[in-house]
Formats: sequence, structure tokens, C-alpha cells
Amino acid sequence: MKISYNWIRKFTNFRITPNELCSLLISIGFETSIVSNKRSWTNIVSAKIIDISKHPNANKLFLCKVTDGNKEYSVICGAKNIAIGQIVPFAKIGATLKDIKVKKNKIRGLDSNGIICSAEELELEVSSKGILILNTDTNLGEPLENIFDKNDTIFEIEVMTNRGDCLSHLGIAREISAKLQKKIFLPALKVFSVPRVIQSSITIEVKSDLCLRYIGSFITDVKIKTSPNWLMCALQKNGLKSINNVVDITNYVMLELGQPLHVFDASKLCSNKIIIRNAIDNEKIFALDDKEYILDTEMLVTSDLQKPIAISGIIGGKYSSVDNKTTTVFIESGIFDANSIRKTSKKLHLSTDSSYRFERKLDWNMSKFAMLRAISLIIDIAGGNLKILKDIKNIKYKKTQIILEIDKIFKVLGYTIEIDEIKKILIFLGIDIQLKGNIFFCTVPSWRNDIKFDVDLIEEIVRIKGYDTVPYVKNNKYSTYIVNNAFIPTIIEKLRIKLSELGFSEVLNYTFVEIRDLEKFDLKYYYKILNPVSKENEVLRPSLLLGLYKNLLLNIGHGSETVTLFEYGKIFNKFGERKAFAMIMYGRVWQEWCFWTEKKIDSVYDFYFGCGVVRKILQLSNKFIITKNSSIKKYFRSEQTAAITYNGKNVGQFGILNPFIIDKMKYDIFYFEILTNEIEENYTEEIVFYKTYSKFPIVKRDISIVADKTLKFEKIESIFKNIVDTNNILKTYSLFSIYILNKSKLCYSFRLSYGSNSKTLTDKEVTEDMNMLLKKLDKELKVKLRK
Amino acid sequence: MDIVNINELIGNIELFVNKICGKIKKSDIKELRILKTKCFGKNGIITNFSKSLPQYNVSDRKKFGLQLNKAKKILEDAIVKRIEKSKSVYRDSEPHHEKLSYSKDFCFPFPKGSLHPIIQTIQDIIAIFKSLGFAVVDGPELETDWYNFEALNIPEDHPSRDVQDTFYLNENGIKKLLRTHTSPGQIHIMEKQLPPIKIIVPGRVYRNETSDASHSSIFYQIEGLEISENITFMDLKAVLVEFINRFFMSELNLRFRPSYFQFTEPSAEVDIQCNFCKGKGCKICKNLGWMEVLGCGMVHPNVLKSVNYDFQKYIGYAFGIGVERITMLKHNINDIRLFYENDLRFLKQF
Repeated sequence: MKISYNWIRKFTNFRITPNELCSLLISIGFETSIVSNKRSWTNIVSAKIIDISKHPNANKLFLCKVTDGNKEYSVICGAKNIAIGQIVPFAKIGATLKDIKVKKNKIRGLDSNGIICSAEELELEVSSKGILILNTDTNLGEPLENIFDKNDTIFEIEVMTNRGDCLSHLGIAREISAKLQKKIFLPALKVFSVPRVIQSSITIEVKSDLCLRYIGSFITDVKIKTSPNWLMCALQKNGLKSINNVVDITNYVMLELGQPLHVFDASKLCSNKIIIRNAIDNEKIFALDDKEYILDTEMLVTSDLQKPIAISGIIGGKYSSVDNKTTTVFIESGIFDANSIRKTSKKLHLSTDSSYRFERKLDWNMSKFAMLRAISLIIDIAGGNLKILKDIKNIKYKKTQIILEIDKIFKVLGYTIEIDEIKKILIFLGIDIQLKGNIFFCTVPSWRNDIKFDVDLIEEIVRIKGYDTVPYVKNNKYSTYIVNNAFIPTIIEKLRIKLSELGFSEVLNYTFVEIRDLEKFDLKYYYKILNPVSKENEVLRPSLLLGLYKNLLLNIGHGSETVTLFEYGKIFNKFGERKAFAMIMYGRVWQEWCFWTEKKIDSVYDFYFGCGVVRKILQLSNKFIITKNSSIKKYFRSEQTAAITYNGKNVGQFGILNPFIIDKMKYDIFYFEILTNEIEENYTEEIVFYKTYSKFPIVKRDISIVADKTLKFEKIESIFKNIVDTNNILKTYSLFSIYILNKSKLCYSFRLSYGSNSKTLTDKEVTEDMNMLLKKLDKELKVKLRK
Repeated sequence: MDIVNINELIGNIELFVNKICGKIKKSDIKELRILKTKCFGKNGIITNFSKSLPQYNVSDRKKFGLQLNKAKKILEDAIVKRIEKSKSVYRDSEPHHEKLSYSKDFCFPFPKGSLHPIIQTIQDIIAIFKSLGFAVVDGPELETDWYNFEALNIPEDHPSRDVQDTFYLNENGIKKLLRTHTSPGQIHIMEKQLPPIKIIVPGRVYRNETSDASHSSIFYQIEGLEISENITFMDLKAVLVEFINRFFMSELNLRFRPSYFQFTEPSAEVDIQCNFCKGKGCKICKNLGWMEVLGCGMVHPNVLKSVNYDFQKYIGYAFGIGVERITMLKHNINDIRLFYENDLRFLKQF
């Protein structure tokens, strides 16, 4: 909301600069910034018309002479309302009007050295006929922005949703005066008499509970004209355009006092009866914004006997609008149900300055005062006679009363504020107080609909006193409490560290995915958003695969040779909301690297390297077991996948992505995903018990054995394992090479470590033990030493 | 052989020794090796002299041999001494000989991994609050209207629901929504236990809005809540000042300013002085000199009522931190969308 510095100073007397005022407003809860007035004209000045003659070559054009006090200019002008002696806005060569530069121009053979402007050209009015005529006491040569702004400062203020009372200059002035402890001055009202009701005049009937109060007035003999400069200027500064004097006045009163008003041309109504009622289903209204709205029974309308003339509190109808021929007007000032206005505005996708204020609840008393203010201004500016003023109260209004204990203030804030100070703050906020013992009996003013409880008053006290004055003690009581379900995702933190050390990057993807993409990977969705941002964000991800796969493509596209990513987050599958952890790997394990010894180090993330990473991270718990994948997801290549169990329960799968599904790539893509709910809940660190190790040297032997391709590696391994478990000198074995000998045979190379806890082993002892192993392999599996 | 010859020879040896000793003093390891060979090698001068010994008479032999041994010892000592001395020089100069570089790119390029900046921020925040005695709790992202709005004193027709445009879905015919803030976490905990409570709830939240440089339909929040019988507004301020100073690792200028949230009263927002311009006003803080980092307040009695707490007895505060926002402030990131693009050129910087 835009607020003018000069305008608020009419309500309260303060002597602080706009910058100080800006900080003051922020300190009491209004996010405020100073906006430079965007409508700053250049090279447009006030000038006097000193001569008018007919254009020799055109019937409808005039040749005018104007002066800015220093120099005379000859201008061609086509407006009918020009006259000698008028002071007008004059755009010199080089000025900009509606984004068009004013240039020296020849019109029908004569030079025109500028433009005499209309209000429309100056963007002051929506549409205007003829030139804008300035007040006769305007100095010549005065830049237009000075005439219209008078060194004003405009603030942009964000008003909290519960402070509907602050959506006006008066409202903001009230806040400032509360902080500065100054008095508020309301605008003076004209004294006028309301004549007795005439028989044939308009009657008003309120037929709906959604209208809480309705004030209507009827003014005859008004003259619709262009608004005076000051009024036009006030609206312009607040971002509104001038329409005509009467409509401008209602808008002015809204900006001034916060009460939206609406004015109708009474002669255009079909009846003398105004009814405020709920709309009928499918009732239509063609509104001032040139759109037709279809209404329903939950919406409130102002209507004559035939049809609605306004959607109450939101927008008026086009056909009853005030125009240049209007002489009799009907003005409404209401208090409508805030929720109903909000719902209607939402349903119709129509938010107006008026609905914005009604939604935030208005001041019960202000509706009357604003009406009187508007009538005063109309009689002043547009003339006319007030014929009727009716005030219908549909409910009995009661001011809110709150009991505030002084002890409670201390309990909430933690420190004491002097009672006298509290009193002063409350009084300047307009709150009536009576102090009895330790209790304040407070009556909240009609504009503060947001104050309902004692804590609201406590907030007011500390807000006005200043949040920055709240003392705080460093290192106060930092006690620890135990929360029943508190847990720390330690295993996830460990995974993060392990993987980032291995060169993986953590990513975070949107929870939303596109159905089309899911189908590609044969994934089903279980949750569809009813109001998605877009089709690409329609369903909740049932797996982390899509996001990671997209990230992979993006980074390969940007030239990455290696992409290793992981993500931890929520997925939404048939069991509901679940936590998941996933990794994707692609490309070289590290960039190609040749040492000067010309040893080449190179490897890619194929199935075996990927498995190595999996093995590395699964070391976190011995409850993890890699097993045969018995329900292979379609996106895995069926011969290169495995499953993972935790505590015997299946938690996920990994493997190479199916090349028939994914885009064409240079290397395989390795993917791993597990659900972590169970793991996180049951994860405990396993305690390690120390085992003594041998103090004697270790003997290493490498052997290569030849086995049938069909023979499972697990069987070979079990023999090694068996010996390690039972034998006292074979300590460890490790596979370091697998080599394809021919179509039917594979060659495995193992490194064996022998040692004894009691002595240094002899060559003979080691050889004997190794022979025993080889014999066993040969006997049980027909696996022989490679010769 | 006459005596002159012997004396001449001895003189030659002395000359040779002096000459070699002079060379030794200037030699490096390689050159020493050559000199050593020149003296004591198979065809070394000293070796050859020794070989020639038998051809002299006994007295000459004795005289010459003595001299030779003396020369041998002088040379050997000189070489040993030089080696010792040059060893330190050798150690330093060896890499130079091998043309080594100290550039980090000269070593094997193990790949660099990274944790997501958002996650790093969350970890930092968790660490700070844990040290202040807070427990970490998790809450669901799929919520009901009750937890996300009603219980937090946000009735259905309240205008502030406009601000939090919500994603709705159906779960087995039940209307659900994606939480718009982490505040439902408060309700879950309070429903389960009585005070004292001192928790933080980090997590992902959702808003139905179009993404731009400063808005994202998905972002992270950290909710904080402390409830007991004697928590005050002062305590809230103390905890938050402590947190902000620790998080930004400096004593920043802070501003507490009144604000409005349904679930707190009094409510406040906390601004920090802009890190980049030190309050003078710059592009990043939109010329305000201040940047908003979190919202907070004293828990509204209606919230305590909704979980059947005795709202006369218990009191507490709550706060909510926007993780993206303070991560952006800390690392000078100007577009929130960077966090969810997952470009390695961005991620690997952290």
C-alpha cells in the first residue's frame, strides 16, 4: 500500500524526516520502504496560453502561443477547451509522454514546438477530453512534478493481514501517533442538514446476514466534472487514476479513512428500492471492469428490484455507474462479512482495493464517519443536496473487553515494565483502561478487531515500547529435555561422509515428477496432486530414480566425464511416506592419469566398481546382506542386479540400469536405492572387541586357480573361508584378478596371507598348508592350480 | 731408485691431495662419487700408488706407505665430511633434480565430493541447537488440515491461508496436503507428551507458487519450540541472538521487529544487517541494509488449547528458520533455483 508523507501529517503533528519515519514504521511492525515516485515528468512545465488563432490549413486545429515565463513557444493544439489565460501543462521538446518522446513537428505546414497535455497524456486519468487546466494560481515554468507532488515522499507499506485498520492514511497516522504519543486529528466535517424523508425517495432493505451494517445516502443535483488538481494529485500519488469528481472522492475517502464506498447513478436504477441480499444462483452482473461475473447464493449483492447493481464490497456494476450526465447519486458505505467477501473474491478471481479492505475487517464506527466525510466533500466539490441518509444496523455491535493481569505481562515477557508506561502505551493506542489492583480492564477501540486476548495486549505493549528494548541475557538456561521420539539419523550422516569422501555429490530434487517420465521406467505413482503447478509436477515421486537420472543427463550434457550423485529424501509409495537413500554412478572412476612411470590408472563405474562402492557403504552395519534379487525392477538389467536386506528384511536393490530403457550412453549407469525408515530406527553402532594380532612376520603367496565358468564363486570362496575359520595359519585371502581363459574356463587369482601367533613360519609349513587348500579345491570343486 | 724420486713422489702426493681436497669442498654428491673413483677406484691414483709400493726399497717403502696412508685418510675424511654436509643440501635439492612441482594438480586427482549446501546449513543449525539443549525431531511431509492449519490457530477462512497456497491430494479418500511449514511438527510433539519440550524440526515444505529467483515451490525450514512453565520472550531473544551469532560466525547487528503469525503472540521477525554492504544498502538486500532471516514468537494460547495443554500453566516460544534464505546469505547465492538444478559446477563448490 502506498502512503503519502504529507497526507499523514494532516492527521498528526510530528517532526521526523521521511527516513526516520520509515525506521519508526518498521520498528512497530510495518515493513516500509521509500519509493521514488515513478511518475516523474521531465521537461513538462506549467505555461500560460497568451494567444490563440485558427490554423490556416486546418479547420479543427489551433495555433497557440504559450509562455513559461521566460520564453514563448508556438504550439499546434486541437483541444476544444482551450482559452487565453489558461495555465496548462506544457511538454517541451525532449519530454516523454506515455513513453513517446516529444519532437519538433510540422503539422499541416506549421511548426509545433511542444504539446499542451491532457490528463490522459500525463497518465493522470484513464481517459479525458481536452487539455488539463491547472489552477490559476500556479506559477509559470514550474516543473509539473512540483505542482503535483509538492516535495512529498511516498512510502510502500506492507500491512500485516490482521491489521485491516491500517489500510489507510488515518490508520498509519494512528500507529505513528501511538508510538510518538501524539494526538490524532480527524478531518473536519461540513455541517449539513438532512431533510426529512420525501415520499418518493429511495428505500433500503437489508435481507442478508452477510451485511452487518449498511449506510446509504442520496444526493441530488451534483455536477460531474474533472476533479480538482489536489484530488487528482492525491489519487495519482497512491497509484489510482482519476475518473470524475464524485468517484474520485469515494476513492479518496477510502485512501484517507480505509472505508471503501461505492457510488451509483440513482437515475439508472430500475426502482427506488435498494436491496442487500444474497445473489441467486447463476445471476449475472456486468461489472465496471467490463467483465461479466456469474454469481451464486453465497455471494452478497446490492441490487434494485430487477438485478444486482454491485457485488457488495467488491465491485460495482457497469450500467449503474456514474458518468458525465449523472445528476443524482446513491452512495453506499457498508460493513460486510469479511469471510464472505474473501470467499467471493477468491471464487470470482477478482480482488479489488475494496475487497482487500473488507476481507481484513473494517472499523464499525468508521463506516458512518466515512460516509459523512464523503458527503461533505461531494457537496463541497460537486455541489448537490443531501436528500437521504439511512443507517441500518443488522447486528448489535459490542466493543471487545479484555482483562489484563500485570503478572501475566511479566510471565510472558520475562521482565518488568513500569505501570505508568503501560498505561500510557495503552491510552495512546486508543484503548480505554481501568486499573483495579493488579488488573487492567481494557476496552478495545472499534478499529482494533485483531485484539482479542490478553496476549494481544501484551504484544501491543512490547511492540510500541520497541522489540529492541527487550533485554536478553547471554547464555541463559540452556537445559536439555528428552523427547520421546527424538532420534538422530546417524547412519545417514555416516553415509553422507563416506560418499562425499569417495567423490560423490549430494543432490536435492523436487518431490514432484511427471507421469510420462515414470512410465518410461515402469514406475507407478500413488499420490497425485489435485492442484499442481504444472503437468511436469503432477505426482509425488515413488522413487528417487527420476531425479537422479535427470541430474545425470544434465551433468553429462555439461561435459562431466564422471557423475556420481546421491540423494536422501522422502518418497511416496504404496506404503505412504517413506525415507529413501539412492546413488547413481556413471563414467570414469577418476580421470585418466599417467604417472611418469607410465603406469596408467583408469577404471569406470561398471557393475563391479559399483558393487565395490555398495560394499564400502554397507560396512556401516553387519546387518546388511547382499542377496539374489528375486523381484527385479524393470529398470535394472536382469543379469547385473542384486538385492539388499537389513536384519533379514528386504530394503532395496541395485544394479546396472536397463539399456533398453535409458538413453544411449557411452558407459553403464549404476543405480542403488534403499528405504531407510527401518534402518534408521533400528540402527545402533556395533561395539568392536579387540582381538590380539600376531607379532611374527606374515608370509604372502599368490595363487591362480582355474575353474569352470558355471561354477559359482561363492562355492570357491566358501572353501577359502572355511580354512580361514578353522586353520591356524591362513589368516586372510583376497581376490585380485578374474581372467577369462577360454569359453568354458575362468582363472581367479588370490593373494593369501599366512601367519602364526607363536612363531615365524617356515617356507615348508606355508607350502604344506597351501597344498592342502589346493587339494581341497580340486577334490570338492575340480578347481585346479593354473600351470 | 734414489731418494729424490721418493721425495718427489711424496711431494706429488701432497700436491694431489691438496688439489683433490679443494675439489671435494666444492663438489656435490655426484661429483664426489666421481672423485672417489678417481682416488680409490680400480684405476684410482691412490690405488695405483699402493700398487707401485713393492718396487721401492724398505725405507722408501715405509716412508712412502706412511705418506700414502696419511693421504688416504685425509681424502676419505674430506669426502665423508663433505657428504655429511651436503646431505642437507641434497635433501632440499632432490625434488628440484626430479623436476617436481608443488602444484596440487601434480598429484593423483582423487575425485572431490560434496554435501549439498542446504544439508550443510541444516547440519550446522542442528549442531548449534543441540549444543543449546534442543532435541531433533522429524515430522511427516504429508499432513492433514488439522496439523498444518487448524491446530495452529489458522481457521479455514482466514486471509493468511491465501499467503500459503497449499498443494492438496487424496490418500485413500482422505484429504491430505503437503505441509506448508514445519510448524505441524510442534503439534505432533505436543500431542505426544507434556512439557518440558525443547525441540527443533528440520524438513522440507511446499508452497503452490511459481518458481523464480527468490521463490521455490519446495524449500527447507527448521522449526523450533520450547515449552515449559517459565519461558519468556526474553529467553526467545537470547536463544536466537546466540544462534545467529554462532551461525554467521560473527556478532552481527540484529533487529527484532513486530510481525504477525496466527500461532504466536507476540510475534516477531528477525533481520540481520546485510553481510555484504554492512547496512549501507546494496543490491542483495534490496537497498534496505537489512535482511530477514526468521520468524518467531510466543506460542499462541489457542495452539496450546488445541493440544489440550493448560494454557494458564504452560508457556513457550516457537521460531521458524528459512534454510535456503540463510544459506543464500551466508554463501552469497543469488538464485534459489540453483539449489534444485543439481549442476555439479554448483554443488562441488561447497
